[in-house]
Parts: sequence; structure tokens; C-alpha cells
Amino acid sequence: MLLQQIFNGLALGMGYALIAVGYSLVFGILRLVNFSHGSVYAFGAEIAMVFIVSMRLGIIPGILLSMLFTGILGILIDKAALEPLRKKGSPPIASLITTIGISNIVTNLLIIFLGSEKRNFPNFFGHSGIHLLGGTVSMTQIMMCVISVILMLILVFIVFRTKIGLAMRASQQNAKAARMMGIDVNFVIRFTFFLAGVSAALAGVLIAGYYEIVYPNMGFMAGLKAFSAAVLGGIGSLPGAILGGLIIGNAESMAVMFLGSTYRDSVAFIILILVLILRPNGLFGRKGITKV
Amino acid sequence: MDKTGKKWKLSSFESFAWRNAKLLWIILTVFLLMLPFVFRNPYFLTVVAKIGCYIILGLGLNLLTGYTGLVSLGHAGFVAIGAYTASLLSVKAGCPFFPSMLAGMLAAALIGALMGLPTLRVTGTYLSIITLGFGEIVKMVLMNWQSVTNGTLGVKNIPKPQIFGWKLTTANHGMYFLILFMIVLISLFCRSLMRSKTGRALRAIREDEMASTMMGIPVTAYKILAFVLSAVICALGGALYASLIGYIDPNTFNFDVSTLILSIVILGGMGTLRGIYVGAIVLIAFPELSRSLMKYRFVLYGAILVLMMRFRPSGILGWRSSLPYRLSGNVKKKLRKEADA
Amino acid sequence: MKRNAMAVSMLLLAAMLFNAACSAGSGAGTTAAKNESGSQSAAENSGMDSAHPIKVAVAAPMTGDNSEYGIGFANAAKLMAKKWNENGGCLGREVQIVEYDDKNSSEEATTIAQKIVSEKDEIAGVIGHFSSGVCMTAAPIYEENHVIEISPSASHPDYSSIGDYIFRNNTVISKEGGASVDIAVNDLGKKKIGIISIMTDWGTNTSGIIKGILEGMKDKGVELVAHEEVMEGSDDYSAAIAKLNDAGAEAVICCGMYNLVAPVAKQYKRVNPDIAIIAFSNAYSTQLLELGGDAVNGVCFPVIFFADSEEQSIKDYVDAYTKAYGAAPSALSSQAYDSVGMLLTAIQNVGDTDSEKVKDELYKLDYHGVTGDTRFDKTGDVDKAFVKVTIKDGKFVKMD
Repeated sequence: MLLQQIFNGLALGMGYALIAVGYSLVFGILRLVNFSHGSVYAFGAEIAMVFIVSMRLGIIPGILLSMLFTGILGILIDKAALEPLRKKGSPPIASLITTIGISNIVTNLLIIFLGSEKRNFPNFFGHSGIHLLGGTVSMTQIMMCVISVILMLILVFIVFRTKIGLAMRASQQNAKAARMMGIDVNFVIRFTFFLAGVSAALAGVLIAGYYEIVYPNMGFMAGLKAFSAAVLGGIGSLPGAILGGLIIGNAESMAVMFLGSTYRDSVAFIILILVLILRPNGLFGRKGITKV
Repeated sequence: MDKTGKKWKLSSFESFAWRNAKLLWIILTVFLLMLPFVFRNPYFLTVVAKIGCYIILGLGLNLLTGYTGLVSLGHAGFVAIGAYTASLLSVKAGCPFFPSMLAGMLAAALIGALMGLPTLRVTGTYLSIITLGFGEIVKMVLMNWQSVTNGTLGVKNIPKPQIFGWKLTTANHGMYFLILFMIVLISLFCRSLMRSKTGRALRAIREDEMASTMMGIPVTAYKILAFVLSAVICALGGALYASLIGYIDPNTFNFDVSTLILSIVILGGMGTLRGIYVGAIVLIAFPELSRSLMKYRFVLYGAILVLMMRFRPSGILGWRSSLPYRLSGNVKKKLRKEADA
Repeated sequence: MKRNAMAVSMLLLAAMLFNAACSAGSGAGTTAAKNESGSQSAAENSGMDSAHPIKVAVAAPMTGDNSEYGIGFANAAKLMAKKWNENGGCLGREVQIVEYDDKNSSEEATTIAQKIVSEKDEIAGVIGHFSSGVCMTAAPIYEENHVIEISPSASHPDYSSIGDYIFRNNTVISKEGGASVDIAVNDLGKKKIGIISIMTDWGTNTSGIIKGILEGMKDKGVELVAHEEVMEGSDDYSAAIAKLNDAGAEAVICCGMYNLVAPVAKQYKRVNPDIAIIAFSNAYSTQLLELGGDAVNGVCFPVIFFADSEEQSIKDYVDAYTKAYGAAPSALSSQAYDSVGMLLTAIQNVGDTDSEKVKDELYKLDYHGVTGDTRFDKTGDVDKAFVKVTIKDGKFVKMD
């Protein structure tokens, strides 16, 4: 029973981790909590559903197309709403409010065009399970973890081993200096939004496939919890996002088991508030320096 | 600035209004007092009362976001605390409306002070996130604490306020005048607060926290004070609102409400009173005007946030007054004394 | 004081504009509705008076989380209006459906109720409000102003006793709860019952009633083994299911809409493929089949409307609905369909739209609709025979 809950918590946590990565990537470079990320995640799942079920493009092309389109949505958000704010030098809070607005727009457009009802999403990996130490791990759970880890490795590779990754890290440390070195910082930021969108779409597809359910509002709660995970792990850090996701996922499972299902949603927020007050940089976060 | 033309027009309007202030005030007073008797349509009056409630909530958040520069994404939580405390006291304990309302405000003040404490360590975006978490937690508590709050069943048949045995309802315009009275009271309070030392300290914190600390302003204390005052006003609004609608449940106070209040403050103009009135009127009245556009409502709220931040972060009416800054009597006296010495 | 004087003048202007637009807006809304239904029926008839239509308001969530239900109500109502208009209208006047979106929020509902009440000279009655809580907020306003409200979905015991003008074409939850428990205990022969309920006013209320019923059956060896409440909007019920399963539940009564029943069925059957799941009539919808797939096979529930019925009128209705909207009607939509029918029949019988007379007629009316024979009792409730339905090979079938 306890072990089963831990397995469930791990699968859930992997999902949060995938969403949390998107928050971390954007935060790392812009110091911005991208509130629209939850709705981008829902967009990824919904559009994958359109490609796979309505247009019958097949699973793999459907997922790839959804990742592409969601990545482009990320770029669009940055280009249309956030870049002008950066150019104007608006205060950070203006960007935060802007992303809340975008989240409203994306979610409600999804509702208008696709309807608010919950719909069936195909499960890719079947339900056959492996018995392990008295609990059952389903194929879907295993594949979720595997794909998440692969995506994480790809992201780490991009950030630490490629030229664009170097530019990302440079912009992250000092955008002004990076610009002087000839880095097109706006391009780097757009690329970051693209990566965040792609990982959100993959998260959306995996989680929707895991629960076999998809609907436009799925991003709100999941987004907030993933954000808690990102903060817990140290926002801006990729391994932190994974660890944070796993902890939040398991904390939820434990809360349901020991406190009752109705408390599951509060757990993430309580962790979030405690972390922000006690250790604002999270587990892996670097110490923030307040510039005067 | 390429908007100088518009600015000039607005400021000329401002000076026109200033010149004819007395006349305008008289017209407005007469208009507001006559309103329920001229437009007898109950639907219209319900919407007006709703706008009134949101003006109060907007004024509350404005103290925090507009004047002090702390953005709260969970103000629905304070509204809920005020509404629930007042309604539960009057429904379960049979306590009259006004003492219940005061109890709600007190409860919100305590929680507000508690919520202000994180400002010791956390600033900016992080603080906003904490308030968001706070709003959600309040909702969870209301849902789960069933023995007290009735859980998801909500509180029904919330009584209307009574003054000396006279029941204030929407039909006899009592609610309208009560809300109007509260708006005037709170507006006057905000105005005098902002002209006081406290108000100047809050604005100083908004403009530059570091500099304020240097000037010897106890920044944390003032931030907590802003939280408390803001929470109290929102709780008052919540109590009125609950009594107006007659039924509340935990979902009445969700994240959408917090966003709506924030949109009101931002649309009209942060840190101004006029902005809040206009913001509430526009955002509450708009969906009523075009029920056919209903499904685009939230898209529109979102668009307002995005476009305002992009093109006019100070809000529709958020320009700085071009009239000379008038020092308060106290300061003038002090200055005169210093000059004499 | 003076500095804000300019805001004052703007306020004046805004308020005046708003009031002007308010009256203009309501006018515009009705003309739009008229055009729509007018174009549908103009071809069939020429003698019908479309200048003085009979308007029926449908107030339900048209946007937001529960919009599928509100849209279902409106679709069904339009279908019924079309049927009447094809036969020359009601009292020779065209029937028009006016939609109001309450977003399933009590706050919106009070505003909408006020709006409907302020137009009560034109509106013959209200079909709607979706959830019980919202209905019970709006009902006193209708009652006070003598506007007839028929809710196709409210199930809270206290709803219809709010007043004489307040009706429902849905069974009270205590009766339906009894039917669900009956399926679990007598038809399926299960003794150990678990409850999983959604945390809404409906879910809390229903689970409480089920608990009471099970309590009374203790002497028959029936036992409530566990009760789990789950939040709306979380799709992971595995932890709650693990607890139910651990407690040894043989049958689970699932208090929620299709969007709870389908995921619970899926996730429960991974843990225990033999579990019996019993739901309520509001889960009777093709969306349950679509969302649940294979997992919902074997889910049982009591309904008062059954789309695959042999009866000709029901067949015609289901065909017409499917043709118009692309899917078979749900139980709640069908209840909305009959509600409109009853209101119009009462008006036809009275020969007037005067709400007091129509209300009196409604209490006397015996209406044979797609949701069975309907007769309001003195509080405005209906008592209907339940059909026990289960899902077999992805189709709704009657239980044997």
C-alpha cells in the first residue's frame, strides 16, 4: 500500500518535473515566473489530441507536431507580449501580470474552440504492469519516467554542450555583457521559450496519456504544483526541477494516504510557502544577488 | 513622449474639472442619490450594487498594489475571510450584521498581518506567488473545515443588514445606500491616508525600497500595515457582498476573483481612486452589456492585462496629476514654523 | 476633494451610458434570438404570430467548466421550441428560446435572475440553473417576482420547497440515492460498499444521503467500508482508490458527473478489475462512453430517461437531437427538453402566459414526455420510475 503510493507519487512527480523544467528554463534567463506555462502545457495536450484523434496523423507525428506548435506558441508569447516589455524596461511585475493575462487568453480560447468538457486521450503504452516489491508499476509509469529522463538529458546536453546553450548560460549570467559579446539575447530568449514549450507539450502528452484525459483547464492546478516543484528544487536548476517534482508528487500521495484526498492540493502550496520563506533559493538554487 | 497631445487634453480636462469642482460634486451627489429612484430596473440596480462591491475590493487591493507596489494574486482569500466570518456569525450565531462585519474585518486583519510577515524575507514576484498560494489555501480550508464552514455546501440565506429594525434590501434601496456610504467612507479614508505620513512612506516604498530604508522608513512595518489595511477593506467588501448575494461557497472566491480585482486596479490606474471606480464600472458592466460576447469575457480580461502592461502600465486614468502638489495643513504649519525659526 | 472631481464627471457619463446600453442591449439580444429561431421556422408556417413570441429563458452555464451541460439544455430547449413552432407555435405565437449564461456561479445567477425578472412581461418561464446550489440562490428571486422556474437538474431536497413557482423535472436525490443503493445491494448482491464523491455541494450532499441509506441497511449485512472525497480538477484518483480497495470494497458508489466516473472506473479497474461501479443519472451521457472507453463497461446507474428505448416518441426525439447536434442527448438535456414541453403545454392549456395561472396548471398537468410520465406533486417535485441502465460493449443497455 505504502509502496504503491510511492510508485504513484513518483509517476505523478515525473509529470510535475517535466512541467517544472519549463518554469526553470524561463526563470533562469528572464528572472520571470511564466504564469502562462500551465496553459501552454494544456495547449500542448489539446493540440496533440487534435492531431492524433481528430486528424488521425498517427501517434508519433502527432506528438512531434504538437511539440513543434507548442514551441511556436511559446515564441509567439514572448514575441508578442514579453519582448516589448523588455525593450521598454518595464518592472518585473508587469511581465508577471502579462503572463497571467496570456494564461487567461490561451485557456479560454481553447475552451471556446475545443469545448470545456473532458475528453479521452489515447494511452500509448498499455496497462500491463510489473510487480515489484509488492506494488505494481505500470508500463505507462515506467515509460513516463524513461521519456522524462531522456528529455532531461537532451536539455542538459543543449544547455551545457552546445553553442546556443553557451549563449543561454551567458545571457543568464549577464544579459548586457552577453549582448556586447555579440549574442542575440532576444533570439536566445525566444529559443528558451521554444524549449519550454516543447517540454510542456511532451509533459502534456505524457500526463494526458497517463490519465487518459484531456481538457483545457488541466493546466491551472498542474501548473501551480509544477511551479512549487521548480521553486522547491531551486528555480533555474534542471536537476532541481526533477527532484522538486518527485518530492511534490510523493508529498501529495502521502497526504492523500494519511490525511485524505481533500488535502492533496493544499500540500503543494504549503510546501511552496514554507520553501519561499525558509529557503527562497530552493534545494539547488544559487544564491540570488540583489543588485542595487 | 508621443502621447503629449492626449496628455494635454486630459490635463485640460482635469483643470476644467478642477475649476468647476463644486458644480460637478453637486451633480454627482444628486445623481448618486437619485439613481435608484430614477432607474427602477432591479437588474440594473443589482449590477450597480455588484460594481459597488468590486469598487470596495479594488480600493482594498489598491492600497497594497497601487500605493505600496506589492502585487497580491490571492486577495480573494481576504474577501472570503471577511464574507465567511460575517455570514457564519450572522447565520449560526444570529449576530447582527454590523458586529459580524467588524468581526470579519478583525479576522482579516490578523490574517493580513500574518500574510505581511513573509515580506520580511520575500519580495517582488515571490511575494505574489505566496499570496496566490494563500488564496488557494483559504479555499481549501473553507472546503475542508466542514463543521464550521459547511464545506462545499456553502452558507445559505445570509441575512440582510438591519439598521434600527429597518431591513436593508436591494428592493428598498437600502443595500445601495449602504454600499454607497461604505465606498464614500473608504475613499475618504484612503485619500486621507495617502496624504498622511503613512501614505507618503508607502509611496516611497513603491518607488524605491532601498532609498526608503536609507531615509529611515521602517519598511517592513509599513508593508505589514499595508497588508492589514488592504485585508480589512477587502473583508468589509466581502461581508457586504455575501449579504448582497445571500449565498456563498468556497468557489465564490477563486483565483478568477483575485485576477478580476487585480484587473480592476490595473485597468483604471494603479494608485489612484478615480481609476478604481472606472476600472470596476468597465470590467463589471462590460460582460453585462454584451451577453453574446460572454464566452470571450475571460479572453478579454486577459487581453486587458496584456495590453495595459504593454501600452499603458499606469492605467486609463493613471496619469500623474498636473495640478500643483498641495501640502497638508500640518506640514505647512511645520514648514512655516521652521521658516520663522 | 477637487482633484477627483474630474473622475466624478466621467463616472456620471459612464453610468448613463451603461444604463442606456443596458436597455439597448437587452433589446438587441432578443432580436438576435428572434432572427435565429425565426429563420428556422419561417418556412414552415405563415400564420404564426412572430411579433409577439412566447419567450422561454434557459439559464445555465454556457461557458466555463460545466458549459457542456448548459449547452445541452439550450440545444434540447431549442429542439422543443422548433417542434412547437412547426405545429403553429404556442397559442398561435412563436416560441423563442433565450439563453442566459450563469457560468454555474451563484453570483452570476443572481444577476441573471434579476435580469430575467425585469423582463418578466416577455418571458414565460425559466428552464434552468444547473447545480442545486445555484438554483437555490436564484429561486427566491423568481419566487418573489412570480416567475416560473423549472430546473432540469437540481436534486437538493430543499430546492423545490423554496416556493410555489419553483419546480424541478429531476428526481430528489434521496430517491435516486435509494435506487443506486438498490442496484448495488439487490441487483449486484454486494455487501461491502465504498463511496467516492466529488467535493461539490452536490457530491457532499449525495454522499451524505447515501451514507444514511447504507446506515439503515446494516441489519441486512450491508456495510459502508470507506468514504473518500476527491477534489474537482485533479485527475489522479489512484490514492483514494487504493484506500477504498484496501478497505475491501466490493462495489463503489461514485457520486460525480461523467468526468469523475470515467477516470475512477479506469483507474479502479487497473487495481481491481472486478469492482462494481454504480453512478447516478447525471453521468448518463455519451461523453461517459467516449471518455471511459472499455473501463466503463459494467457501470450501472438509475435513470429516468433512456435513449435506446423502444418507444416511438423517444426514438424520434433521439434521432432529431442526434441529427441536429451530432450526439445522443444526455439524461439532463432530455429533462430540459421535457421541462420546456411542460411549460408550453401548461401555457397552451391556460390560454395565457399569466404566471399564476400557468403555475396552477403545472400542478395539475399530466405530461407524457421522453423522460416518462411526469406529474408535479404539491412541492413541485416529480416522482418517476427509474430505469436501471448499465453499459455493455460501449453501449447503454437496460439491466436485466
